[in-house]
Amino acid sequence: MSRCSPSTEIAKGIRVHSDFHHLISRRGFLIAAAGVAASAPMRPVRASATEERRIKVAPSQARLTGTDGPQTPVWAYDGTVPGPTLRLRQREPARIVVDNGLDEDTTVHWHGIRLPNAMDGVPGLTQKPIKPGESFVYEFTPPDAGTFWYHPHADSLVQLGRGLAGALIVEEAEPVAVDRDLLWLLQDWRLAKDGQIAAGFGNMMDAAMSGRVGNVVTINGTVPADQLVKAGERIRLRLANASLARIMALRFEGHRPVVVAIDGQPCDPHEPDSGRLVLAPAMRIDVMLDMQGDPGKRYAVIDDFYDGLAYTLTTLAYDEAPPLRAHPLDAPVGLPRNPLPAPDLAGAERQEIVLQGGMMGGGKLAGVGGMMGMGMPGMNGEAAWAINGTSMTGDGHAGMAPQFTLRRGTTCHLTMRNETAWWHPMHIHGFSMSVLSRNGSSVPHRQWQDTVLLAPKDTIECAFVADNPGDWMLHCHVADHQMAGLMTVFRVT
Amino acid sequence: MKLTYRLAALAALIATPLPAVAATIEAVMYKNPQCSCCESYAAYLEQNGFKVDIKPVNNLSQISSDAGVPADLEGCHTLMVDGYVIDGLVPIDIVRKLLTERPAISGITLAGMPTGAPGMGGEKSGTWTIYAFTKDGKAPTVYATR
Repeated sequence: MSRCSPSTEIAKGIRVHSDFHHLISRRGFLIAAAGVAASAPMRPVRASATEERRIKVAPSQARLTGTDGPQTPVWAYDGTVPGPTLRLRQREPARIVVDNGLDEDTTVHWHGIRLPNAMDGVPGLTQKPIKPGESFVYEFTPPDAGTFWYHPHADSLVQLGRGLAGALIVEEAEPVAVDRDLLWLLQDWRLAKDGQIAAGFGNMMDAAMSGRVGNVVTINGTVPADQLVKAGERIRLRLANASLARIMALRFEGHRPVVVAIDGQPCDPHEPDSGRLVLAPAMRIDVMLDMQGDPGKRYAVIDDFYDGLAYTLTTLAYDEAPPLRAHPLDAPVGLPRNPLPAPDLAGAERQEIVLQGGMMGGGKLAGVGGMMGMGMPGMNGEAAWAINGTSMTGDGHAGMAPQFTLRRGTTCHLTMRNETAWWHPMHIHGFSMSVLSRNGSSVPHRQWQDTVLLAPKDTIECAFVADNPGDWMLHCHVADHQMAGLMTVFRVT
Repeated sequence: MKLTYRLAALAALIATPLPAVAATIEAVMYKNPQCSCCESYAAYLEQNGFKVDIKPVNNLSQISSDAGVPADLEGCHTLMVDGYVIDGLVPIDIVRKLLTERPAISGITLAGMPTGAPGMGGEKSGTWTIYAFTKDGKAPTVYATR
């Protein structure tokens, strides 16, 4: 199915502007809409309180390494990698039509948004998959402002690995005082020598180790050139890791980023440990950066997560102009809190999930994934991982039995124990969790997360109020791990 | 500890004949940066007269695939030595056999991480099959069993 023709768009009146949605920001859209209103006084300033969008999923081409680089065939939302940045407003409804132009089923998961279960985008579990040529209408009203993202939840490893990802920014009701609001949507690609996406999705060694980590990292769809900055300015930088498997630890040489939100949820502003921003797949971190470097100077942004494999992601290149202001902006950096329900820890129901399997997993999957004697979990398409002894593989399907059931309104005190030798960013659908403790030490800064990174052998305690009914997924966001069994489902009645 | 280690190394020296040329054999090991058993295997090789240059890589499966290792027979790391690919935790005598016989193949592989293999802990169970592979698309053949 093709996009609406211009005439259809015009027939729908004001929505003619939405045809250019990936060229103009929502604010630009509102200005354009206001312009229309001025020339047609009978029309309200905003035709509808509902933000309407249409996104097409289809094969496309991208120059990931820059304008001189080779064309790489990708799968894309609206033809671009990453997909268009969707800007919604807190507590205002959105209606997003997704057209599937792929040759296989897809869905869209609005990662981190607390929404009705039927809009969560898990095939089989919350909706029928969108078949080739078909469409699905997603309707929800984001309760929380912040940095979120969207991606497929069908054939996840391949669809995400071929480029399907985009940012979803929910704007605060009142604008935040910064000079610039920037987004770095980070994607990691495994390219072959000819610049094409390498074959080998679902390789068992990737599945049972650290996932399909790639060899090219892009910011907003291209291998980054210098980031031009001005001395004295304050930047809100929204970092979103849309990689299949690559964990990043970013250091901003000569700068002191202040974390103001994690996974879209504002936290107490703080500088990260050792100045390293650890960003696992699917995680977002919003930082405030006061550009206190010297005009004309350059500062590296380094990712040193993997031992022996540190690299310079990009460089902050200062304009020669004198600083915008003599001292950093006075305005507080903290963001207004989102309306998250407060957990009742005293009356909480305790649940525990244990992550098992993988290479060097001590044979924990024997009898689950059939690795008897062979020591090769994931072989022959079998599960490489399990949660509490059960391996749910793939992307989601009908009839997945819930691991546990919570009565609506109950606080769930969830313990996640990583028995494996590998790192796992565990993502909960439909909720944000208050992160209570890591390995027995309480977690400071009032952090709420939808994706919590567990190091090997880590134990994390979290809590959330089960206020949203439905069957919800809880899985590792290293796509290979999810596909190979590191996934479970819980039910809220 | 140190004495035990030396004694073990000495025992290994006595027990296994050195290659005809006692000079160290240079090898390059590509391994996942987060996998520790490969380092134990590298230490095992070094005790047996090799010098191993360890290169952590994030795209090991791509490297082993480019080296011709069949996807369903991958070991946990890929070693390049003397013109051959040796994938996985292949016992040293089989490595020596390969480097001595010099067959017309790309390399050999022991799939997965079998318990009891060099670099791994635990008791060996069952038979290990070390396959020979080439880059010409022919099916892998059995090179050795253990």
